Amino acid sequence: VPTTVPEVAFSDQRLGNGLRVIVAEDHLAPVVAVNLWYDVGSKHEIQGKTGFAHLFEHVMFQGSRHVAKAEHIAIVQAAGGTMNGSTWLDRTNYFETLPAHQLEVALWLEADRMATLLDALSQENLDNQREVVKNEKRWSYDNRPYGSFQEKLQAHLFPPEHPYHHSTIGSMDDLDAASLEDVSAFFRTYYAPNNAVLSIVGAVETSAVVAAAERYFGAIPPNPDIPALPDLSLPMTLGGEIRETVYDKVPLPRVHIGFRAPVFGDPRLEALDLAGQILSGGKGSRLDRRLVRDERIAQDVAVFTMGFIGGASMTAGWATVRPDISVARVEAALHEELGRLTTELVSDDELGRAKALTEADELGSLQRVEERADRLSMYATLFDDPSLINDMLPRYLAVTPEAIRDAAAAVFRPDNRVVLTYLPEGDGTGIDALTGDKEVAA
Amino acid sequence: VSAMSDPRRDGPVIAERPKPGAPTPYAFPAVTTHGLPNGSSLVVVDLPGRPLVSASLILVGGAAEEPAALAGATVLAARALTEGTDRYDAIELVEAGERLGASLHASAGWDSLSIGVDVPAARLEPALELMAEVLLHATFPGSEVENLRDERLNDLLQARADPRRRVDERFIGTIYAIESPYHRPSGGTRGTVERLTAKHLRTTFERLRRPDEATLVIGGDLGGLDAVAVASRLFGTWTAASDMEDDRVSIVDRGTSVGRLVRVIHRPGAVQTEIRVGHRGLPRRIEDYHAVSVMTTILGGLFNSRLNMKLREEKGYTYGASAGFDMRRGAGPFTARAAVNTEVTVPAIVDMLAELDRIHREPVDQAELLAARDFLVGVFPLRFEAAGAVVGALGGLAVHGLDLAELVGYRAAIEAVDIDAVSDAARKHLHVDDASIVLVGDVDAFGADLEAAGLGRIVIERDESPPGMPTDPD
Repeated sequence: VPTTVPEVAFSDQRLGNGLRVIVAEDHLAPVVAVNLWYDVGSKHEIQGKTGFAHLFEHVMFQGSRHVAKAEHIAIVQAAGGTMNGSTWLDRTNYFETLPAHQLEVALWLEADRMATLLDALSQENLDNQREVVKNEKRWSYDNRPYGSFQEKLQAHLFPPEHPYHHSTIGSMDDLDAASLEDVSAFFRTYYAPNNAVLSIVGAVETSAVVAAAERYFGAIPPNPDIPALPDLSLPMTLGGEIRETVYDKVPLPRVHIGFRAPVFGDPRLEALDLAGQILSGGKGSRLDRRLVRDERIAQDVAVFTMGFIGGASMTAGWATVRPDISVARVEAALHEELGRLTTELVSDDELGRAKALTEADELGSLQRVEERADRLSMYATLFDDPSLINDMLPRYLAVTPEAIRDAAAAVFRPDNRVVLTYLPEGDGTGIDALTGDKEVAA
Repeated sequence: VSAMSDPRRDGPVIAERPKPGAPTPYAFPAVTTHGLPNGSSLVVVDLPGRPLVSASLILVGGAAEEPAALAGATVLAARALTEGTDRYDAIELVEAGERLGASLHASAGWDSLSIGVDVPAARLEPALELMAEVLLHATFPGSEVENLRDERLNDLLQARADPRRRVDERFIGTIYAIESPYHRPSGGTRGTVERLTAKHLRTTFERLRRPDEATLVIGGDLGGLDAVAVASRLFGTWTAASDMEDDRVSIVDRGTSVGRLVRVIHRPGAVQTEIRVGHRGLPRRIEDYHAVSVMTTILGGLFNSRLNMKLREEKGYTYGASAGFDMRRGAGPFTARAAVNTEVTVPAIVDMLAELDRIHREPVDQAELLAARDFLVGVFPLRFEAAGAVVGALGGLAVHGLDLAELVGYRAAIEAVDIDAVSDAARKHLHVDDASIVLVGDVDAFGADLEAAGLGRIVIERDESPPGMPTDPD
């Protein structure tokens, strides 16, 4: 199938200080996306300092030498733009999308904090953002039904000495322990131009953008001593099944599963992505069809991969158990459907539909300049190869039924599996109590 | 670049913030509107370079006009539309879509029901054929409807355990009169959903399925495709069911008039309190829509809005605080919201009320006004990068009976809002003294503070313990 997704043409160069600058012109709309990836994530945290990379990301919005606290966001929004930052296991990124004539404002803001963040650092601002982040953790994880599954899967899938063992949000105790000295050291170590990729996509002229990048970032000194990560490689499988039962404030039980999977960039992970689509991508998928539609034992199902580059990735999923249905039955059905993929080849029609949807998704994602800039930064940071933005879709479209079977057989094994079973707190009588609790219609 | 003088440098960086270049003129994409033979409307917008085409068939009318006894029927009917047609069963239909790389979807809310598809341009015509099949030949198979109904009932169970959904539901139940549909979720309640049958859904859908209240919007890179001819062939001749009695009720959007009420839903051990403060708000069609938009952007829309700056950036009480109007054909709610750590529940509410009061009482600063206006004007083109967003905005016009000028003239109308207009909007439409406060949190931790604060009459709901929890011994 020839792809209908347009190719992204881009230029790729480094400034004298090592900052990688990637520019892709697109004059369809008068907008520009600026995206800066730093090669630092929660995998760079050490024990006792979990959650720090993310807390640091918040501090990046607290001002720098020429920008006051919270002014970064005020300036971008008043320029008619949107912005955010995000932290993940393998990276931290910062991005703005603006009307194209406001490009230099974004470059100036990013350069100012890359060079002079510590000028504005204060205990008061650190304490303030520590409280904000603790409330983010409460909101996103602690006060949310089933909210702990990601932390728990990571803890089980990766050994304690591996940095993927802990979640990006970290622990409350470690957040409390973060000091100004930690912020300074982290900034001096990792927030250097030679540890970053700047991607710019939109209605701009490449040569003018490169000149502007030189003007704003060119004099920021590199850090020649960025420490290398230790060897993060891991055995391909866990070596045994790990099970945990979690009692939570939930009305319906849920079975979460997780598998150690090949690293991001390994073609087997692409095959597993398509397997996820075949298993749970919409109403026609295998798990939806069997567990939700035919047997009606699950409320919802999901299977997805999360690609990491440091030793292993994660393929995870869940099924929420309907009232009065045996949890064991739902778990068995999940394993059975994943198991089928390890022995039987998917049909050409089934794989063809999964690919058609993948292609349409890609068409939808890549029409946004913000997404293109993020992908260019990502592939440059993680693989030193921004042209993967054009190569990935053809790779997905070339996946064969045999490749899916082989990847599934390598990963969906009982001795490579974590099973988390969420059960209602107490004795589960909450469900019965609720069934009797009718709300009154008007 | 070459003509630029060397900017003043300060160490490794440039000291002065750069001035923006000359803005590129922006205009909302050109739109053509056509009447189809059966009285429905067709809106076409060609967007060269946008190869993922979006189409949406909108039927005006929704959950707000349902008889109370059938609450949830419209939302469920929309979900059931893709569960089977004369030609296809549910699986055949989804597979036919997937082979085109098309995601076919149907959904409904307070004001409309829509059937839509996003598809690569080359396969638009067969995707539209699937849409027409759903519009004209949905069968509402009994077994599938039963399954969807059970899913919705389970979803309602889940909603009670999620503090966010729980607080939203109790908030609307507090601020709207029981006669108003806005008193309940648009998807209905356990009591009503339990009773819904395939026949109810079919009847509900047939009431909405009238060509004179239907608009088809198609947007994207249409290349040489004659969208008008294709749409006329597929959507130009259908008619309303002849035996359909229109028993839709007119929208009742009456609020409760209880004055200030504080309702607490006890969630033992909760580490955060979900806070909602607000009252019955505004419909979409109001004279001062743009002034209200600027006002709420300043109060709780921007990151640097007053609420977020106070509660997050100054106090660290929350990950985010915001406020806004949910504008429907009737008067939807005005809501200020935040989730705060349990210990600061009462001070956070006091701060929220103080900000509502301040914008009500004092004019905003010129700088705040400019920041809000520039944001709304500047992000407007950013919102319309994808065909789906353009189609969605045009569909919104159809739902509210608004003219295209609403989008074309949006930026100029925002630019025209001044400080007085913002003050008028706040004075007219924010009612701090009558705002209800609804909380989901651990009342044992903050109940005494709450009483001492004297914010209003307090009602504590302890008996409805979260699902899965044993009933509170108190």
